[in-house]
Amino acid sequence: MTTAVDSTAPKTTPAERLRLLIQPALVLIVGAAVIYWAFNRDLTATQQENINVGNVSTLIWQHLLITFAVTAIVLAVGVPLGVLVTRPGAKVLRPLFIGVANIGQAAPAIGLLVLLFLWTAKTGFWIGVLPIALYSLLPVLASTILGLDQVDRSLMDAGRGLGMARGALLFRVELPLAVPYILAGLRTSLVIAVGTATLSFLVNAGGLGILIDTGYKLQDNVTLILGSVLAVCLALLVDWFGGLAEFFLNPKGLR
Amino acid sequence: MRRVLGAVVAAMCALTLSACGLGSGGTVPFMVAPGSIKPNAALEGLKITVGSKEYTEQVIMGYILEYTLAAAGAEVRDLTGIVGSRSTREAQLRGQVDVAYEFTGNAWINYLGHEKPIPDSREQYEAVRDEDLERNDMVWLPPGPMDDTYALAASRKVVERTGVRTLSQYADLVKTTPAAAKTCVDTEFRARQDGYPGMAAAYGFDPARAQTPVLQVGIIYQATAYGDQCDFGEVFTTDGRIAALDLVVLTDDKQFFAHYNPSVTMKRDFFDAHPQIAEVTAPVTAALTNDAIIEMNKQVDVEGRDPAVVARDWMLAEGFVTER
Repeated sequence: MTTAVDSTAPKTTPAERLRLLIQPALVLIVGAAVIYWAFNRDLTATQQENINVGNVSTLIWQHLLITFAVTAIVLAVGVPLGVLVTRPGAKVLRPLFIGVANIGQAAPAIGLLVLLFLWTAKTGFWIGVLPIALYSLLPVLASTILGLDQVDRSLMDAGRGLGMARGALLFRVELPLAVPYILAGLRTSLVIAVGTATLSFLVNAGGLGILIDTGYKLQDNVTLILGSVLAVCLALLVDWFGGLAEFFLNPKGLR
Repeated sequence: MRRVLGAVVAAMCALTLSACGLGSGGTVPFMVAPGSIKPNAALEGLKITVGSKEYTEQVIMGYILEYTLAAAGAEVRDLTGIVGSRSTREAQLRGQVDVAYEFTGNAWINYLGHEKPIPDSREQYEAVRDEDLERNDMVWLPPGPMDDTYALAASRKVVERTGVRTLSQYADLVKTTPAAAKTCVDTEFRARQDGYPGMAAAYGFDPARAQTPVLQVGIIYQATAYGDQCDFGEVFTTDGRIAALDLVVLTDDKQFFAHYNPSVTMKRDFFDAHPQIAEVTAPVTAALTNDAIIEMNKQVDVEGRDPAVVARDWMLAEGFVTER
């Protein structure tokens, strides 16, 4: 019985474990190198407006906060929605929610940001976060559905045979078996979120996009490279956390 | 039969030529007849290529220049909408474009490589005129009053509430009640020394004192109009949205921001051969005020009208040309 599950579930391979060790080291080295490179050169007054310790650390912090909020929203919305549309009574809703999530991901993130601003007439953190959350919702939603769909029917029958109610069946059989899929989807969502969070600055949510945009507009490669490389580092870091979560949270029997 | 074939071949050549964007350019979009601009014998039938950059304001100004020269009798070729100032400048330096409206501050900073603008508009023009003529053989005719530069603007509500109408008053507000002076900027204005930090230094306030939310430049107009998202916002002084959203532009009373006045520019040899262009274009350049160009920009950007039509209608209304 378990072999049938094992053959389909994502597993942590030795190569993956090695990557979990190397990746954070790489992020630290590259991040430190680009910061050293950018700060230890003759900067013009214009560059110093952006390249100073206070500003850069604020922008990194803002970027992390945006990513964190997006993750929380995507998990809080994507997983329950995925559970809902796999329940026998609610399967008719599946095309609807998948459709909305698809539109969210297919629409340009920049358009979603501006639309939300025009719609609410507000700017700030949440106006920068909500569109990014919609934009990165699809992987978690799709993988939750996939994870629940792939649970072996015979295992569910066994659960019912043990006298489990629907709720117990969901929390003790289905969801644990779906965790590897959900986490894989979350990892994809996270990396998308870190990348698109570079656009949140357009509506006053800050983040590393400020460095990238300033560098691009003023043809100032130092600021541009600093912003881009730091964003890449954050993406790798967040991906690493996702990997760690997969490593520790996947049910032991599936590792 | 042969004649028909010849005509077909000629027509096809003409088609291919006009379809090819590289060499040919177009004709003036509408025919105009002389108005207060009279036919000028020296320009009659003269082939002149008019160029412009690709954004709304420049395209409108390009068409205005075209109608002006066409009304004077010249045979105008249309090369408006060249992408980027660099390409436009290059086309002019190489003689592919004969005349174009260029801005004094832009040439001073971007073409002539100066970091600091000259505060006085007239002196800025004279400095550009002399240096560009000497270095690049480029002639700058006297500039118009229009000035497309950075400024701070606010909604009418905020102006009434704070009483701020000039940048000096804005600086006082930042010093006394920074909470009432939330100022939306874009990334570029936030960092440029001829932007917010430089302005703060010139007006003697600490740029870190007021909140400066960073927004996308297009969003700033709307957010400033709402009034609650930003008390003040960075704008470009001739943007059509200033009129459409009823924003009030604060007066730069210490003349800090660079001046971007338009001037008809051409190479020295072209000017020497056709000096009449100066007298023909002078009244039109002089009529180009901020209010005039803001209204035209608004008609194109906000109302979606065609820049060629908007430019012609303005020329008609000003009496420079008549309908044909």
